[in-house]
Amino acid sequence: MKHAAQRRLRSQLDPRHWPLLLTVPLTVAALVAGVATVTGQAVLSRMEADQGRHLAALGAAFLDGLATAAQPAAVRADVWEAFDALDRASGQYEALRPTLSVVVLPDGSVLASSNPRVLRTGAALPQSLSGQADRAIASGSPAIDERAGRAVVARVLLEGGVPVGRLVAEADIGALLAERDAVVRTLVLANMGIAALFAAAGALLVRRILLPTERLRQRLLEAAKGQRPEPLDAQAGSGPEHLALVNAWNGAVAAIAERDLMAARLAREEGRAQLGRLTAAMAHEVNNPLGGLMTAVDTLSEYGDRREIREEAVGLLRRGLDDIRKVVRAGLSSWKTGPGEAPLAAQDFEDLRLLIRHEVSRRGLTLDWRNDLPDGVRVDRTLARQIALNLLLNAAAASPPKGVLGFRAQGLSQGGAVIEVSDVGTGLPADAESLLADPDGLPPSGGGLGLWTAARLARSHGGRITREPTPLGTRLVAELPVPSHAKEAADAR
Amino acid sequence: MAPACPAGRRAVLAAVALAGPRRARATSLTPVRFGLTPVFLESDLALLRALSSHMAAALGTPVELVKRRTYQEVVGLLLAGQLDAAWICGFPYVRHADKLSVLAVPVHRGHPLYQSYLIADPSLRARSLADLRGRSHAFSDPDSNSGCLTTRWLLAGRDLSPATFFGTNFFAYGHRNVIRAVSSGLAESGSVDGYVWETMAETEPGLTSTTDVVARSAWQGFPPICCLTASRQGAAARGIEAALLAMADSPAGTEILRALRLDGFMPESPGLYDGIRAMSQDLESRA
Repeated sequence: MKHAAQRRLRSQLDPRHWPLLLTVPLTVAALVAGVATVTGQAVLSRMEADQGRHLAALGAAFLDGLATAAQPAAVRADVWEAFDALDRASGQYEALRPTLSVVVLPDGSVLASSNPRVLRTGAALPQSLSGQADRAIASGSPAIDERAGRAVVARVLLEGGVPVGRLVAEADIGALLAERDAVVRTLVLANMGIAALFAAAGALLVRRILLPTERLRQRLLEAAKGQRPEPLDAQAGSGPEHLALVNAWNGAVAAIAERDLMAARLAREEGRAQLGRLTAAMAHEVNNPLGGLMTAVDTLSEYGDRREIREEAVGLLRRGLDDIRKVVRAGLSSWKTGPGEAPLAAQDFEDLRLLIRHEVSRRGLTLDWRNDLPDGVRVDRTLARQIALNLLLNAAAASPPKGVLGFRAQGLSQGGAVIEVSDVGTGLPADAESLLADPDGLPPSGGGLGLWTAARLARSHGGRITREPTPLGTRLVAELPVPSHAKEAADAR
Repeated sequence: MAPACPAGRRAVLAAVALAGPRRARATSLTPVRFGLTPVFLESDLALLRALSSHMAAALGTPVELVKRRTYQEVVGLLLAGQLDAAWICGFPYVRHADKLSVLAVPVHRGHPLYQSYLIADPSLRARSLADLRGRSHAFSDPDSNSGCLTTRWLLAGRDLSPATFFGTNFFAYGHRNVIRAVSSGLAESGSVDGYVWETMAETEPGLTSTTDVVARSAWQGFPPICCLTASRQGAAARGIEAALLAMADSPAGTEILRALRLDGFMPESPGLYDGIRAMSQDLESRA
């Protein structure tokens, strides 16, 4: 139970099993998100490059201006002049947002910084700042530390080609990074919105496109449940493919309806034919004793006063009438009892023997009858009798004169019954055999209606009819299991 | 305390001042060159322009205000005769007293006197010069009395020098710069003109509020306006003298004086710079 639930869950989670109504919008959303990600990345890369160039230009302008004032101070190691230059520059480059600028002497010590409380004169330049300054000088562009939100620009101060110090400035690029983050957020939100919009539009579109298919699916499901197939509105299609599908379905519905009509007509005709045969059989069975009965009546009317003759005539009358009663009773049992009302018993098949006696004798057949069916088999007795009767009449018709018609009936070990009917005819035609494999197909056009009816009855009962190999003629075996509802009811008891 | 300017003499000087431009205009249009040093807030360009205009109007000739980075440069120009007069510090005046004459002395809060301030970063909680040992120190100018001489003299009295007492020291070449240096943390302490510090406390309290005045020196002669003694009787020198001494008599002059936080100008009183001279001589004798 647990494993089945897990399998069901895995199946539901498998995208290959998702409905189109879900997979198509998701695919659209994924594609849109992918395209948006690629374009967004391109935008961000371009923006980052622009910001880098902008920052480099600002940094170069800042260093140009500052170097002019700071270089003489560096040459003279003039603390105040260096500080004055840095201090004045701090407030004049708002675009760069310098947070700290430093004049560093060749020995690595700070001559002056714009914020002496952070970096005092004479102190060594912090390792991190020194490393970033080295990178900035080597690359000729700002060294950017995004995590700290700062960029470092630096330049070597040269006097006559001789290094007299370095100018190092740290700028707050938080605003640039915030701008980039804002762009990223905007892109992500916009992309998500667009993807969601496209997904919703895709869902609506697919829903609209698949509506005829969905209706067709519903019709198929209804048909699978046994309901009568209903045609679809051909105008509901949204394209030639759907129109073709709807037309195909409607064609199938019409064909099914036509087949059902034909089947019903054929069944009626078969019923009439069987009725005719049975009527003839019954008339024959009734007629047979009638001659004797009439003779007995004549004898009674003429010699009724003689005791031995009267008793003999009355006995003949009793036996004749008894035969007639049996025949009538067998007919009633076959055609008046409602389906599924009573369990099957051996006597039910014994009645059939009487019904086919006329057909057997008319053809001069030998009936090999063996009825080992136990009583109380939980199989619909009416259906079982109709199946057996159809098979027997079919086999009798297929048998050559003087042939042997075999009948076997026995119970199944799991409940149910097995009926075996054999003849010594020319064998089962191919089209008749195909009926056994597909009893839901169209009825045969050239005869074999009894076999088709028997196969359909067996299938409706949950059983089947198969042809068993035999050296001569045909041997058909009908397996009639106990229906599940009967089994459950029995189990419940 | 310095003597106040006698009313009668002021009137005479004013008359000279008034007469001066007419005479100067008649004789020559050669600009009068007036040297300035950071003994006051010479960074206020609007004030300088007003001062120039006022003097030009008083003298009847164009006035060229000459600024240099150091006292030495301005004094050098004055001694070389390239300036008609200059507002210099008392220290270079006493060093060159044999060649220079005082034309006028500013009057601040009623007296021609000022003090030297030792200022420091408030976080040091310094209460005296001794508390500044080992700290970085900003001097104003090597030739400044309040911005260098006084502190050097105090240290010399303890057989110390700036190099041995302070951790590091440098010159900021301007009293305002010294205050900026200490306020920003570039220097932990500084020697500064008390008049400049008090004036900035009114005009730029953001700078002075981040400095503590650790010590104030004795009262000393206010930085004077000097000329070459050889030119003392020249028209330019006399005109400048008259214009300065009469500045308080005109609305424009009063406005300038208010901006300078000065009451006016007065002639030199005897012995005004004796204190500075004594410190200078003491240091020279120790050298």
